[in-house]
Amino acid sequence: MPGAGALAFAATLALGAGAFCAESVAGESVERLEQRLRERAIPDIPLRLADGRTAAISTLGQQRPLLVTLFYTRCSGVCTPFLLWVRDALNEAGGLGTDYDVLALSFDDADSVRDLQAQAAALGLANEPGWTLAVAERDAVARIAGALDFWYRADPATGQFDHSALLVAVDQGRVVRALLDSTTGNRRLREMTWELRGRFIPFYRTADGGALRCFAFDARSGEVSFDWGMLLLAAPALAALALVAVLFGVTSRHRAA
Amino acid sequence: MRAVHKNTLYWMAVTFILFPVLILVGLFMRAVQADQLGGAQAWFYPMMTLHGVGMVGVWFVAAMACASDILERYCDPSAAVGRFALAGTVLGVLLLLACVFLGRFAAGWYFLYPLPLKGEWPAWSAVTFLLSITVLGATWLVWCLDLLRAIAKKYSLSRALAWHYLAGRGEPELPPSVLIITVSLIAAVAALLAGVIVLVLFYVELLSGATSDTLLMKNLTFFFGHTLVNLAMYLGVAALYEALPEYAGRPWKTNRIVAISWNAVLLIVLFAYFHHLYMDFVQPGAFQYIGQVASYFSAIPAAVVTIFGALLLVYHARMRWNIASLLFFIGLAGWAIGGVGAVIDSTISVNVALHNTLWVPAHFHTYMVAGLAFLVIGYFYHRCQEVARVPENAGAQAFTTALLVIGAYGFFAMFYLAGAYAVPRRFALYPLELNHGAGYSLAALVFASLFLAGFLLYLVSIWTRWFKAMGARA
Repeated sequence: MPGAGALAFAATLALGAGAFCAESVAGESVERLEQRLRERAIPDIPLRLADGRTAAISTLGQQRPLLVTLFYTRCSGVCTPFLLWVRDALNEAGGLGTDYDVLALSFDDADSVRDLQAQAAALGLANEPGWTLAVAERDAVARIAGALDFWYRADPATGQFDHSALLVAVDQGRVVRALLDSTTGNRRLREMTWELRGRFIPFYRTADGGALRCFAFDARSGEVSFDWGMLLLAAPALAALALVAVLFGVTSRHRAA
Repeated sequence: MRAVHKNTLYWMAVTFILFPVLILVGLFMRAVQADQLGGAQAWFYPMMTLHGVGMVGVWFVAAMACASDILERYCDPSAAVGRFALAGTVLGVLLLLACVFLGRFAAGWYFLYPLPLKGEWPAWSAVTFLLSITVLGATWLVWCLDLLRAIAKKYSLSRALAWHYLAGRGEPELPPSVLIITVSLIAAVAALLAGVIVLVLFYVELLSGATSDTLLMKNLTFFFGHTLVNLAMYLGVAALYEALPEYAGRPWKTNRIVAISWNAVLLIVLFAYFHHLYMDFVQPGAFQYIGQVASYFSAIPAAVVTIFGALLLVYHARMRWNIASLLFFIGLAGWAIGGVGAVIDSTISVNVALHNTLWVPAHFHTYMVAGLAFLVIGYFYHRCQEVARVPENAGAQAFTTALLVIGAYGFFAMFYLAGAYAVPRRFALYPLELNHGAGYSLAALVFASLFLAGFLLYLVSIWTRWFKAMGARA
């Protein structure tokens, strides 16, 4: 019964629409969490730097935009691999120390200047231009962590912190991009540095962005290329030509017969 | 005398009922914009959606009905598929009316992703709208394929596309209307398939929550919508090629130039829609330039060849002028004038200023109303009168035509002027700094009412002829 079938189909779609509306408010993707940080103001907290000086974040970001990440020196988890990844990826992307700087801020107020120096040496960052390791008072760290939705919690059993990994690009005191829990997104880190260097990024992944995109942007070369969605764009014309060719082909055989 | 098929007569009736209703919807919109209907502005966007989808749909099916009628002279389209198209269109229209009047669906005729899924209307109305477009699109796709099948039964593809003229051979003769219809139907199939993909992606999102790329959806939506509107115009031009020679008493034949120009349309028309994405900065620059060039070359060769052809046909001919031949001639002018407006707007440097101003509805109303609608209602009158042979009142017909032309160009002029003065489109009410928009709307309201009066007079004049043509079938 086609009428009943059509009704069932319509009902399924209506239910789907309801589910869609519910889904759009529940569950947040990493991209959405990252996008939520855009335009957030960074609290201008005082820092103790690894070279012993004290400075405010605003002073560090006065000359160039900043990439800010949070870590602590005793971390046996993600901190060291994350910092190594940032180091290597930025070396590859270029522009560090000339177009932007990096601030690695310890969120463990037990970290001393000596600890920071040791960490910088261990990571090969001691003499790297553009890198600054720093620590701040607990309240100040709490303010900046709050502003960036950076989650961390001390675990008394292990003496370690549970925490996420975050890298934010800050320009003129505000977040322009964020990268959350990623040590594999070299492409996205390159996009971040492009943005800090004032280059236009035409395409990048957004929260809830579709899988089939028309174009892709290569942050390494700056080139725009066709993506899989372009096939869908070409499909109607190609399918129409094929359909017409078949139609005329089949019918002409009948005509000849 | 060739009898008019019952399906064609039904299509005429559908057009005669829906067109005035949709004009009234347009009048409502202009009245709201003129600030004459306080409190009714909540209905502006649902009515804008109905007016847009309705007008595009009505004139597409009316032009398809002309094409089907023309093809009946040369080949054999299926009457059953014709009835199926009629039933599908009626069902689609009913669904559209339900979502607009009961659900206040108001995403506009572009239904640009993701707006249908994000508006304040209930989810069921968005689903009903998508179902309406699905029914209409699927029905029209089947209809297009059947007309192509009918052409294929008589002509090979190369002959239907007049490639033998390109090779320098004039035999066998191919009526230009068949060439134009073939070109238009092939492109229409591509456009409708693009519509299918858009709808499938909408349904996927409804059912699974998987979102689509907005740029891809916009490209596909305009591939579908722009191309379909463009092709409806060409189908109307096919009616002109078919009928105008009968008033001039001279044949209008296919030749090499005609073949080149319409094959160029087939090559280029699918790329013209890129001009709708000039403001989408993420669309690569090359596509924007392709859009501008394709906009020029999909319109100019065919229009220039057709206009010169028509002028040569009429020049020093013993023209038999009645409302049909007048509407053909004025419709051709409307195509040219609206086309020039469109080409101006498709020029990137100009589009920067005119984008989303009332210039846009100005040019598409010009070629849709004073171009396509004039050609189609001229053809409908021509076919009914051909069968009915009712004595004609030249004065009344001239008066009706004058009302149509003055009314139409009056309300187009208000759009053009408002567009040139930067009044944006799709504003229900104008803020203080755009208050001049309300004045243009009020004047447009008067002119559009004149146009409606003209169309009602046209209906009075065709009414008896339509019944006689229907009776001639019995």
